[in-house]
Amino acid sequence: MNNRIIVILSFIFILLLSACKSEQPEYNNRIVIGIPADVKTFNPLFALSVNEGAISELIFLSLIDFRWNDELGEVEAFPSLAESWDWAEDKSSITFKLRSDVLWSDSTSFTAADVVFSLDVYSDPEVQSRLYGIFEDFYTDEQNHINVEKTFIIKSDYELQINFKPGSSPDLFDVVHPVIPKHIYEKYERKDLGTAEANFSPVSNSPFILKKWDRNQTITFGVNKKSFLYDENSVDELVFKIIPDYTSRLTQLKMNEIDFMELISAEDVLELSEMENMIIKTIEGREYDYIGWNNIDPELFSTSGGVTPNKFFGESEIRIALTYAINRKEILEEYLYNYGTLATTPVSPIFTYFVNPELEKYNYDPDKARSILSKHGWSDSNNDGVIDKNGTEFKFTLTYPGGNPLRSYASTLLKNNLKFVGIDVSLETMEMGTFIEKLLSKSMDAWMAAWYIPIPIELKAFWYSDLYNTQMNFVSYQNSAADKIMNDLLKEQSRESKRKLYFEFQKIIHEDQPMTFMYWKSNIIGINKRVVQKTISPLGAITHCWEWTVNR
Amino acid sequence: MNKVFIKSLSKRIVTSIITLFLLVSFLFVLTRLSPGDPTQKYLSAEFSPELKEKVTASFKLDQPIFNQYINFVANIFKGNFGISYGYRQPVLSVVWQFLSFTLVFATLSFLLQIIVSSFLAFKSIRNKGKLFDRSVLNISLIVYAIPAFVLGLSLIYIFSIQLDLFPSSGLRSLDFESNSFFGKIGDYIYHLSLPLITLSLAGIALFYKYLRESLEDVYQQNFILNLKASGYDQSTILKKHVLPNAVRPLLSIAGIELGILLGGALITEVIFSLPGMGRLMMDSIFARDYPLVIGCALTAGVLMIASNFLADMIKMKLDKRLIKGLIN
Amino acid sequence: MLVIFWILILVFRMKFLYNLIQLWEKYFLLLTNDLQKAIQLLDSQLLDVLISITLFILIPALFLFFRKKLKFLSININFSLAVLLTLLLAFVFAPIITDENPEFQKDLRMTKLLPPFSKVKVLHLKAGDISNSSAAEKFIAFKNQIVKQSYANNIIFIDNIKRKPDKIIYLQKEKSGELDLNRVQLKNNKSIVTNKSFILGTDEFGRDIFTRLVYGVRISILVGLGSVVVSLLIGLSLGFIAGTRGGIIDIIFSRLTDLFLAFPIIYLIILILAMFGNSLLTVIIVLGLSGWMSLFKIVKSEVLSVKNKDYITSAVMMGLPKMTILTKEILPVIMIPIIVNVIFQFSNVILAESALSYLGLGTGNSYPSWGAMIESGQQYITKAWWMILFPGIILIFTLFSANNLGKNLNKANISVMH
Repeated sequence: MNNRIIVILSFIFILLLSACKSEQPEYNNRIVIGIPADVKTFNPLFALSVNEGAISELIFLSLIDFRWNDELGEVEAFPSLAESWDWAEDKSSITFKLRSDVLWSDSTSFTAADVVFSLDVYSDPEVQSRLYGIFEDFYTDEQNHINVEKTFIIKSDYELQINFKPGSSPDLFDVVHPVIPKHIYEKYERKDLGTAEANFSPVSNSPFILKKWDRNQTITFGVNKKSFLYDENSVDELVFKIIPDYTSRLTQLKMNEIDFMELISAEDVLELSEMENMIIKTIEGREYDYIGWNNIDPELFSTSGGVTPNKFFGESEIRIALTYAINRKEILEEYLYNYGTLATTPVSPIFTYFVNPELEKYNYDPDKARSILSKHGWSDSNNDGVIDKNGTEFKFTLTYPGGNPLRSYASTLLKNNLKFVGIDVSLETMEMGTFIEKLLSKSMDAWMAAWYIPIPIELKAFWYSDLYNTQMNFVSYQNSAADKIMNDLLKEQSRESKRKLYFEFQKIIHEDQPMTFMYWKSNIIGINKRVVQKTISPLGAITHCWEWTVNR
Repeated sequence: MNKVFIKSLSKRIVTSIITLFLLVSFLFVLTRLSPGDPTQKYLSAEFSPELKEKVTASFKLDQPIFNQYINFVANIFKGNFGISYGYRQPVLSVVWQFLSFTLVFATLSFLLQIIVSSFLAFKSIRNKGKLFDRSVLNISLIVYAIPAFVLGLSLIYIFSIQLDLFPSSGLRSLDFESNSFFGKIGDYIYHLSLPLITLSLAGIALFYKYLRESLEDVYQQNFILNLKASGYDQSTILKKHVLPNAVRPLLSIAGIELGILLGGALITEVIFSLPGMGRLMMDSIFARDYPLVIGCALTAGVLMIASNFLADMIKMKLDKRLIKGLIN
Repeated sequence: MLVIFWILILVFRMKFLYNLIQLWEKYFLLLTNDLQKAIQLLDSQLLDVLISITLFILIPALFLFFRKKLKFLSININFSLAVLLTLLLAFVFAPIITDENPEFQKDLRMTKLLPPFSKVKVLHLKAGDISNSSAAEKFIAFKNQIVKQSYANNIIFIDNIKRKPDKIIYLQKEKSGELDLNRVQLKNNKSIVTNKSFILGTDEFGRDIFTRLVYGVRISILVGLGSVVVSLLIGLSLGFIAGTRGGIIDIIFSRLTDLFLAFPIIYLIILILAMFGNSLLTVIIVLGLSGWMSLFKIVKSEVLSVKNKDYITSAVMMGLPKMTILTKEILPVIMIPIIVNVIFQFSNVILAESALSYLGLGTGNSYPSWGAMIESGQQYITKAWWMILFPGIILIFTLFSANNLGKNLNKANISVMH
């Protein structure tokens, strides 16, 4: 009797299954994008992760639309919320003419007051926006809060003048940030903005409106037909599907369950490209891996803040020798399948005009590495296979954050490479949070990590000598000539003289070799053929994705 | 009888509260001692030391640890667990978003475990020593030894990748809303089948083993043999005498198991991308979201203690019935 | 069982064993000649190899010698015991069972993700110039031939070679390269090409899965035993103190136990590992910290029950020191439940270790732990099933056997008590 029940139950079960499968429609005008983690907020003030940033910029447009120009190797400014803009002769102010046909998704109109409010809030110390502290070119109080009276002149609802501090050198990037609706956010106390309900159900000014947010499952955007960016070919729905596990994400891409996915491992490209429904694209030059050699002695710095050269990596020649000793090309070929290029300096190859082509690369050459090392007194005097100098063996720990296959691969190879020139490396993986803590306190000798570089080129945040204010200078690089160039670059306006300065900077970095630059990794993207998109650029995979359409 | 009961109940509640308080304090100290801090995720080219100071101050992490602790305890007694650093929402409301899934998922899995294992155990005991009994016994031993992630990955490989029968992750389809009521239920079944199997198999094996053993023991006891000899009805013996005796040892294990399930099925949630307590807890640990870590731990602790308590209550009730039965 | 193991090894690893014995001999010579140098050369790898070969020879000899006295040899061996015994053997004799280095990798293009029973052609190159000047250097050269390193400069993996008058062209998949003739080892003016087989296939780094499994036994058992010892120390001592002293100490310890039992322990483990790093040692300690509660309870209740028995009280009255009595009386009683508990704890720990590795919090990539292997296999589940299957099977067998052993012991114990 029991058996019969089981048979009936399983029959019903299968029926249910087939029922729910058949209810899915064949065609839909919808694009599904697979992402690894849910967003925590839609408010651009607090969008800290890359995906949060990209998604918040999809719902909150800025005054100007930046697009990447491949030929120039630079971003170009196009009108967006602003129809046009005019710099004053001496660059002391800028005037924006705003579009008058922009509506927030609750039908309130967008005006200059929203722009003023946004910049005010971005710089408010109470709010702790991610951009707090960067508005140095504006009139600010001692708390770095923008002085609204002095800075903004609202000429009409659709005309706004912004004044800058005398002696500053402002550019468009200082002003252009996603604009948030004043009439929504002014209801909250400034200190409560971070936790405001409106961050989770945003009122947007873009072609997309949040339809449904199923935490940790899906984020569904509908299309705003009133938006000036809407056209009839637009998709009906844009869905972000959260799939933390890489393999699951890839499986769903193959099975047409998602249409779009970033950061595909080079390993899987061959299989994907053989599939009929798949297009593979890449974004080059946004991220490089590096091996950080601590330029200074970690112990002294952590105990007293003192700065002395590191006993292994203090000299630039030694760091150059280490670069010679590492076979970066093999990793690039064998693991990344050449989806990337060898890196020489922190200036990405995508900035074609500013990349110094004359630097002679340090290609893999263990003999040269050995000879440099022995010139500096490192040789194997006791025959134990490890080189030494004045009784100190060349032995150190290379730390890297766990959970990244490329890095564990590269570190394994690198360990063998360095062993070959007589350097004994032990490897240690570390959980990300702890790792960053150690980076900030500069307490590691050597590590492997990556930088995701900002556009436009930003150097001072990473390479300036002031170790307190330049927290991202993890290797503690200090060079006064480089400092001067970085300061000059901020003031320089003309492209040609900027180019000269960039060339000079790259030369200095190349000769000092504060870290071993490994490779620029391509961001490999898989797209289902039914999706038509033309906008993949270094600015990000999903920027401008309101222009994407679906093939019928 | 009633007074004794109330007394033991209140005693139990007090010790539970003390335990939970200790747990929370312990975690508080642990999180404050640890390397890494919540401002890390602000790290970017625009990150300024001033911002770090502001953020640290707003999380009240700039105060001496002792003051932080006093503040924290005072808030807890007001029922305020603070604001999650990452989610920017009150801790309890974040926890609730994830707990609702876990409650349903854990209960389903628990029911599945109990039903399947008792079905198998009774069938085994009826066919004791036969092929069915022996094979289920051995299979259960092997199944118990399969780690959840090996099982989950194998299920995905077979049923999602090779056969394309079930989805490999997620909780609902994208067109979920457009489905009818039965379609919705079907959609849940469609998505939750593999995770439920992954989560429940080990528990089924465990319960089966215990239940089968205790059934065997009870059936061999003298009074049951006597009852059988005096010609009592099989099903009466089973209901009145065998079951209560056989279920008792199972109950404490079931209590613990339910507690663990309610705390979140970490591995299963990770494999199948499900939004449950396990992942919330792990992510909050990695993100150094201290208030959320403590909130999750406390929730798990309350559920664990509550389910143990429930098991004990049922046990007591059974005991009473047993005593009564003996007197009669 | 043991005999079979020895015979198998003898058959399959004859040549390697011979080499190892030679290595021993040379090392011994070096020891007598140049003691300081010899000690300097003794790294963990060499030590490992020398110890295993010594044991490999010594153990059969000892067995033959003490044959009569070793009664336990005659007990029946069932499946679980056999599995555990095999693991033990693999633990001790890892360097003999496989002559590869678990980290060895080379020519990824050729060796990556090979299915089980693959064979790859190997072209042998000339090793670098060895100046055979001193005895020590000779020894190093010989050692490097036998004890494999994680890299090798004297071989390359190839698909095919073409001989040209002055050079050799080799093919590696779609890539080809050239080698000067004088860099290649020649025999009768022909290059030497052999086959290297990977019986259980290779992983994404081109490493031999069989070798990694064998060495993985060491990691897993080390972690298992280590943390069981930690739990045992904590549980025993706390339980003993709580039982004998009672009062406020008992209350404190009991609250502590409740605390650890009050929420799923896996989160505490993750919390501690995330915060204090995940080296091998922390993993062992943390896993040990997570499993002492049941031991504490067993010990405490046994101590309490024994303490109040008449004969103890009378023994105390007779003036015997209390501690000695308790130790003498209690230890034998709690022995079996503790052993059973420890075995279950052992299997729990191995499971937890692999689960942690799966979550990326294990002992890292430097050690071949089973969990870490399964974790990395997950990425390749569609392409390389063998990466998950073999470590998975071993893990299941180990857990199954440990559980079974614990269960049987428990049963035996209960029947003795009755």
